[in-house]
Amino acid sequence: MTDRDLDQQLVERVQRGDKHAFDLLVTKYQRKLGRLISRFVRDPAEAEDVTQDAFIKAYRALPGFRGESAFYTWLYRIGINTAKNHLLANKRRAPTSTPFDAEDSESFEDASLLREVNTPENELMSKQVVGVVQSSLQQLPEDLRSALTLREIEGLSYEEIAIVMDCPIGTVRSRIFRAREAVAENLRPLLETSKGKRW
Amino acid sequence: MKQNISVLMDGELFEDEAESLLGHIKRNSDARMNWEIYHLIGDVLRQPEYVHRGLSRKVRERMQDEPVVLAPRGREVKQQIRTIALSAAASLAAIGVVAWMSLQISPELSPRLAMQQAALQPASVPINADANDYLMAHQELSPNADMNGGASYIRTVSYSLDAAP
Repeated sequence: MTDRDLDQQLVERVQRGDKHAFDLLVTKYQRKLGRLISRFVRDPAEAEDVTQDAFIKAYRALPGFRGESAFYTWLYRIGINTAKNHLLANKRRAPTSTPFDAEDSESFEDASLLREVNTPENELMSKQVVGVVQSSLQQLPEDLRSALTLREIEGLSYEEIAIVMDCPIGTVRSRIFRAREAVAENLRPLLETSKGKRW
Repeated sequence: MKQNISVLMDGELFEDEAESLLGHIKRNSDARMNWEIYHLIGDVLRQPEYVHRGLSRKVRERMQDEPVVLAPRGREVKQQIRTIALSAAASLAAIGVVAWMSLQISPELSPRLAMQQAALQPASVPINADANDYLMAHQELSPNADMNGGASYIRTVSYSLDAAP
């Protein structure tokens, strides 16, 4: 089973009437889609609204999604179209200096073109979250930190990580989980203070 | 369970296990919270400059007003239907070919044949008895012995038995 298979499984659940499955997809793609849309819609609050709209449009269109492309490609296309329509409705033009399409957006890494779209009231919280994650990562044992980094940043599969780290796949699975859980342990108290405002 | 969630989000769980776990996440808020936190960690590691909060909560709120969407059929069922449709199309094509072959004979030519038969009705037209041998000898070479499209070549002839040797 691949990441794409998981998305397809979630999509099919939604198509069978499971709204919660769509919630899991939103959780998975909210920041990726939000970052993509923020390249079109410069105002942070507007970008957030457009991102929400894009998700709702995607949900309504899901019965017609047949899995011929990856779900994220399809979702990003909806996001781009929603952003462009938003700009058109407000008689503004999409930025032309950063040409890209939905296929490229997954690998887009030019941080200089990205903008901070957090609203002021969330900015402090965001910085705290980033601080906790990064400091927690630094405190991890080397093997756990490497496994999590190879997975999350480099995007390697378990099998590839096992080869790189010269260990069984089961060990990779365990290391990645332990790394995540160690970081999550430090994050939970911070997130619970936001009283229902889940991430 | 937490470890399975970690494996699931990496797309490394077997499909049947994933299906079971997704059902569990749906029912269990703690499991869903772990799903969210693990994704948050990944997003922060990949793009610390874009950590946006509350979006999924707001989408969730808006989703409450949305009707449940239902796709009429799943992908597998569609695949089966596609296979059946292709089989049916192939069958129809075969029937079409047979029908076309038979149409070579029947619709347009029928009136003509009827007219020809009507025209040939006066079979009593006297035929030269010397022609019988000729007709018998050439019957095997006549195109009406062919099954395919031979109707247009059909001619009705007769000869006198009295004149047969």
